[in-house]
Amino acid sequence: MTKWLFSLLWLCAVPVQALTIVDDRGVAVELARPPQRIVSLLPSLTEMVCELHACDRLVGVDSYSNWPAAVQKLPHVGGLEDANIEVIVSLRPDVVLLSASSRALARLKGLGLKVVALEPKTQADVQRVLRQVGQVLQVPDAPALWTRIDQGVNAAARSLPAALRGTTVYFEVDGGPYAASESSFIGEMLTRLGAANVVPGALGPFPKLNPEFVVRADPQVIMISDRHAQALQDRPGWSRIRAIRDGRVCLFTPAQGDVLVRPGPRMAEAAQLMAQCLQGRLKGKGP
Amino acid sequence: MSAARIGAAPGLGLLLLAATALLCIGGVAVGSLGWEPLWGRAGGASSILWEIRLPRTLGAWLAGALLGLAGAIAQGLFRNPLADPYLLGSATGASFGVALLLVAVGMSPVSASGWAAHLGLTGAAFVGAVLAVLLTLALAKGVQQTLRLLLAGVVVGMVFGALAALVMFLAPDIMRSMQAFLLGTTAFLGWPGVALLGLVFVPSLAVALALSRALDALSLGESTAMSLGVALTPVRIVLVGAMALATGAAVAQVGLIAFIGLVAPHLVRAAVKPTHRWLLPLAALAGGVLLLGADVLARGLLAPQELPVGVLTAVLGGGYLIWLMHRRPM
Amino acid sequence: MSGIAVSAEGLRVTLGAGEVLHGIDVALPAGRWTAVVGPNGAGKTTLLRALAQLLPHRGRVSLAGRDASAWNHRQRAQQVAWLGQNESGAEDLLARDVVMLGRLPHQAWLGAPSAQDHAAVEAAMRQTQCRDWRDRPLGSLSGGERQRVLLARALAVGAPLLLMDEPLANLDPPHQADWLRIVRDHVAVGGTAVTVLHEITMALHADEMVVMDAGRIAHQGRCDQPATHQALERVFDRRLTVHSLAGQWVALPS
Repeated sequence: MTKWLFSLLWLCAVPVQALTIVDDRGVAVELARPPQRIVSLLPSLTEMVCELHACDRLVGVDSYSNWPAAVQKLPHVGGLEDANIEVIVSLRPDVVLLSASSRALARLKGLGLKVVALEPKTQADVQRVLRQVGQVLQVPDAPALWTRIDQGVNAAARSLPAALRGTTVYFEVDGGPYAASESSFIGEMLTRLGAANVVPGALGPFPKLNPEFVVRADPQVIMISDRHAQALQDRPGWSRIRAIRDGRVCLFTPAQGDVLVRPGPRMAEAAQLMAQCLQGRLKGKGP
Repeated sequence: MSAARIGAAPGLGLLLLAATALLCIGGVAVGSLGWEPLWGRAGGASSILWEIRLPRTLGAWLAGALLGLAGAIAQGLFRNPLADPYLLGSATGASFGVALLLVAVGMSPVSASGWAAHLGLTGAAFVGAVLAVLLTLALAKGVQQTLRLLLAGVVVGMVFGALAALVMFLAPDIMRSMQAFLLGTTAFLGWPGVALLGLVFVPSLAVALALSRALDALSLGESTAMSLGVALTPVRIVLVGAMALATGAAVAQVGLIAFIGLVAPHLVRAAVKPTHRWLLPLAALAGGVLLLGADVLARGLLAPQELPVGVLTAVLGGGYLIWLMHRRPM
Repeated sequence: MSGIAVSAEGLRVTLGAGEVLHGIDVALPAGRWTAVVGPNGAGKTTLLRALAQLLPHRGRVSLAGRDASAWNHRQRAQQVAWLGQNESGAEDLLARDVVMLGRLPHQAWLGAPSAQDHAAVEAAMRQTQCRDWRDRPLGSLSGGERQRVLLARALAVGAPLLLMDEPLANLDPPHQADWLRIVRDHVAVGGTAVTVLHEITMALHADEMVVMDAGRIAHQGRCDQPATHQALERVFDRRLTVHSLAGQWVALPS
């Protein structure tokens, strides 16, 4: 009889560890036990998994995931658009973390793998997705991690002298020129630091601008990747912009660019980078 | 000469010049705030007019004129009303050059300020376009047979297109910058760019005009042209050269703009029935009007955002062709 | 004017896979109209094109006593006028612009046509009676109207030697008669005409005839001589006989 009771209890105990998580698609995904073999197809998700101390559970990441250094040795299973289905399946993952718009989603699901679609795009998303990833991993650290990140961002904001509040900033994401507006993740970060983005959020997160707009807006600081910074003042009319005249152009290396652009657990570091830039302590070889 | 015939071609020319003048005014008035009347501006804005809007306007016109001219040459040279200046592979050659440069720049910041910066996007596009045409000529073993030249051009175009796509695949970071180039933009066109376009336009037009009678003779067939004393091979080489230079220069400065080279000569021929002596400059004028019009729209419709000019020319050009097919059964 | 307008020695032409002309020796007299006839595939058009320097060949071709290669492009174009077969294209050019193209060998690179050019164009269009549609694009003309414009183009060159390949295509009998008159007038003022014709009866109106068969010349002689008629009948496998009808020679299928 005791044996029966014990096995009944055991049977009840096992389902306690099963988890249902609702992902970005609104689909409820059921995980019988904490996943031990995880494939991540989004760099920000990779970083979250590692920050939640589950890096050793990753068996495969996408081609863009490059932080922390440990994931660089993992098998890279393709980019955002062209995930290598065969390799992913051969890794026998318990769960695949990817973005809802990934083309691999339907295929992997059809092949019987558990897929959880998560994609953080804004700061609020980071908090939410961090919590969801923590649920998937079944680790309790997510809320604490978020608090640390949030406090880090606040600290960076506080480190800026009051005189620098309201500095107008132009953040160029890509040639075109594509700018990061207020409604983008980068824009949100700048707002938290007290800077003013010259590109209004109504234009969408990454609008392709008329370069004349930037000349008119006359930002005090320009933030741009050092790859795209060539001949900034050769652009017609740009030599008049305050930021270029005063030399307040911050050039980011690709590694720094990754930190700034990815809505993920390195938000505090991103805030620090921007704060350093605004204070003029982050200048590359400049134009 | 009947009175109705006098001035049909010059009449169209005047009309296009008037349209150009209007669009130039529009081009200088349309900026990041949309339409702004030019009168009553404060002094500080004149630098925007002079340094940004005027070169963009003139540059768009010159690039369109170059493409229209190259299109007319292509259609005369290949005796095909569907020929366009990109037929010899210059478009995808330029794309490949740009893709390679973007990758080189992306690999190290040193090159970003060194030779790559000096070469610049425009230089890479131009070199790519010219190299592609040279490769086409080599593949076709000269200009003796137009069919072989066309085939070689198609092959070279496809190969370079595939190579450019491969480069983009291997280095996806460049995709957004490539897209800006592929869809066409006058965003960073300054006075040096305008000067370059002008420097290419004048001799190209002069050379093409000098050979306008040869182009007319070619339209009657190769044998007839030869019998009339046209030395086919040197004439073809010079025309291909002019076409390649004109196309390369335009593509280098404003990216890949579709349809202008195809549609501008058709527009002219739909209005008048000219010999090449008139067709070439009129096609240039028409091309200039088309591209400038598209550029003004691209800047003005969603200001301060910009639409890619190539999308607008495809819409405008495609729409015109559809209307043409509807009106005159081919 | 006597003499040889155009001649060939050992003329060989290879097109594609095979040799089309096998070592032709021919001398066409100046001031005469010579018709080149023969069955399909005999090489008539190829011979004419080789004489006009329009395709690569081996062997020697001479124009007016001088080796053809000694003439530069422009001189040759002023000496020889060519009217080809089935010329397509130029749909958008106006008829008068097409005829003006015939003056190309006399014109500079740029610069307006001279009064002489205009006069030659007018005369040519009057001769072929195509003035009525001078302002219409070529593409809008019927076959016969178009052919007359192209003929005017060839006449406008004002060259002493006229080489015409199937010039009667699309021409109705009255205009075929006009064409006959034009050729005769050209020869009467000292010009030379060499025409490839598949209408044997029309060809029999010429002064001389060159009969070709399978890439060689079977016979060359005057059109009114029995030897020429016999050569014709032989070359066409006796499926054609030459008769005299009301003072003219006619060829009828037998």
